[in-house]
Amino acid sequence: MTLYHFGNCLALVYAPYHMAYKISGISEYATFSKCVYAGGLYIFTQLCKMLLLATFFPDSDVNQVNGEYNAFLEILKSTVDLADLLGLYFALSAIPGKGHAKILTAAIGWASAEVVVTRSILLWVGARGSEFDWRYVRSCAESNVSLLQHAATAALVWLWTRSDLPRKYSPIVVSLLALSPYRGLMEEAVASVLSLSAWALLALRAVHATIVGLTTLGIYAVLAQQIGI
Amino acid sequence: MWIDEADGFAEIFKGYLPYYLLVALPIFIIMSPVNPVTASHEFSVYRMQQYDLHTVPHGCRSASFNLEGRSLTSWSTSRHCVVARVEDISIEQFMEIRSKAGALLLVLPKNDTVLTPEDKEHIQLLEMAMIQNEVNAPVYFAQWTPDFEDILRDLQHSFITDDKSKTALEAMFNSVSSNGYQIVVSASTPQKLDSKPVTLHGKLVGRSGSAQTIVIAAHYDSSGVVPELSQGADSNASGAVAVLELARIFSRLYSTPAVRGGPTLLFVLTSAGHSLNYFAAKKWLEEQLDSADASLLQDVSFVMCLDSISSSATLTMHVSKPPKPGGAAHSIKSRLGVPINHKKINLADETLAWQHERFSIRRMTAFTVSALQSHKEPSRGSLLDTPSELSASNLIKNIGVLARALASHVYNLTDEVNDEDAMLYDELLGVDEVAIKHWYKYLSSQPRAPQIITTLPPNAGVTGALERTLSRYMEITVSTHTVDKREPEYTLYGPTRAQLYVYSVKPAVFDLILTLAIVAYLTVVYFAIQFFPRFYEEYARLVTGKAKVQ
Repeated sequence: MTLYHFGNCLALVYAPYHMAYKISGISEYATFSKCVYAGGLYIFTQLCKMLLLATFFPDSDVNQVNGEYNAFLEILKSTVDLADLLGLYFALSAIPGKGHAKILTAAIGWASAEVVVTRSILLWVGARGSEFDWRYVRSCAESNVSLLQHAATAALVWLWTRSDLPRKYSPIVVSLLALSPYRGLMEEAVASVLSLSAWALLALRAVHATIVGLTTLGIYAVLAQQIGI
Repeated sequence: MWIDEADGFAEIFKGYLPYYLLVALPIFIIMSPVNPVTASHEFSVYRMQQYDLHTVPHGCRSASFNLEGRSLTSWSTSRHCVVARVEDISIEQFMEIRSKAGALLLVLPKNDTVLTPEDKEHIQLLEMAMIQNEVNAPVYFAQWTPDFEDILRDLQHSFITDDKSKTALEAMFNSVSSNGYQIVVSASTPQKLDSKPVTLHGKLVGRSGSAQTIVIAAHYDSSGVVPELSQGADSNASGAVAVLELARIFSRLYSTPAVRGGPTLLFVLTSAGHSLNYFAAKKWLEEQLDSADASLLQDVSFVMCLDSISSSATLTMHVSKPPKPGGAAHSIKSRLGVPINHKKINLADETLAWQHERFSIRRMTAFTVSALQSHKEPSRGSLLDTPSELSASNLIKNIGVLARALASHVYNLTDEVNDEDAMLYDELLGVDEVAIKHWYKYLSSQPRAPQIITTLPPNAGVTGALERTLSRYMEITVSTHTVDKREPEYTLYGPTRAQLYVYSVKPAVFDLILTLAIVAYLTVVYFAIQFFPRFYEEYARLVTGKAKVQ
């Protein structure tokens, strides 16, 4: 609508990231360059994924135009998102520091890069236009949920790399990790089955991210007590 | 790199970022287009008529606007564009909008809705009221679409009003829940159009060169409140079709010397009709009478103008001087068997009543044959003047009657003696129903407002089609008239159509409320992050405690 509306949307996107960075205390580790590094890795990973998609699913856009929904193809395409986990793994291994600082730095860097790449142009073009649409406010709120999601995923990757993880937790960690590329697909499937509105879908995403996050936090707490950090 | 030098985010924020922002933000703002998104609704709209007649302004004087859309009941200031259905707006409301509102957008009735006679009358009266004076606000008309229906409903049930709501909470709720619309038309400022009306005329020469001339004339333009939508089926596609058909019938009769009639027949089609005070007929008469070679109109028996002959099957003869018994006009009158409506020419009026008055002023015997009872009928310049099956059959019947009356006058037959004669008549004077219907449909599917037909070159559009058809029957002369430069008889203005964009927007208060909501949300997030360590401790104790028990 106006520049003011754009400012509103920007505040909604940017402030939680800034607060997460400042208040969680990782800024004391002087890790801004590491955040940027994680963001760079994110962009590099996306380029690799695009190459893979373009090589193996060249005609996927045609199907979308026709309006057919090929579930198997969608699942295959989501499988490519496993590369994200690999990227997060490299990001985590390149960041020095204690467990939680490592995880948060990687997650914030990764998620901010995602926001900048996927939402900035949409907001700049859309939220400043004359036309009002709830879409832009919703997409800003969604980026907050995705911060939580990325933090949970980064923690899971970190837990998976630990050799001292109690054996009985490793199946949970591995299954959560294996499912993480498909979570967007699953949420959309549930939404279409229950025919949810866009706001309900956002709430569903938030609930899902919270559940995964709390599970991960529990396992992290166990491990942290065990190794004494 | 500045990232390596900076120790953390805060330092970048304090040290470098402001300077980069100082450069980058203005560049961004300059680079970005004014309207980055296309509107969700885009419509073709048609601007109201705008013309000056003898320097008296008529119609809508401006073209572009960018205003908030409101319904008939909720608008209040000149910052609002009133959006309404044509059948809903009353003349009093229009007068108020004319003087106070910023713009007016009228949606025409859906194509298949059947209007009641009261609705029709109301719309016609509204049109007359609209065109009588000038309107300073832009006025546009739009065809009905489902999207418009949604917008109209939204606006009618919208809570956005300027009167104070009962409580602040209610006002807040209203501004969040209701949709507003920003309506934008960007058109060039109205400009004078280069109007060159034309007159087509052709003659069928009679038996003896010195015999009298009968003139059959009609104007083929239409006049309506919206140039692009004035189809003018009755006024005056019907008259033009009749001239074409009479030309066809008599050209066949005149082609064989044995049955050629005595008087010369002159067929005239003019392109500026009653809305422009029959300007083309006036100019054409001046050219023909005042030129050195005035042979064409030397000895005129009578002039028969045809105007609006499809609305009913009964015709009326309009004259400005009662025809003398024994004269040619009286002979036609009795052969047609129609009543006479006598109306004196009133030069004080802004426009002449009928086209024949142009000829009567030049001292010719002239009359207009029309199905209308009076020249003041609002249907002569209405949007609702569209073709129908009934009007087409009326037209066919009336052309048949006219052809017969004219033929019996030309050949001076007193009565049809027997069946054989009647059959001969039918064969020779039979009208071509298919051709009439085709032409009637074609002419009334074309917008024929003076803004459109007099600005095209004479061999294009409707004028070109009429000329090509008439020249199959006789030799056609096209005379182009020009408007006086210093004291124009009339001036036409464009543009006649524009593109309308509708943006859905929220009121300004909405942004403030959104800011409050976001601030509240961020406060919650802030405290959630602040309390996270404590939450983590509790949570860890809970989880690990249970783990130890196992």
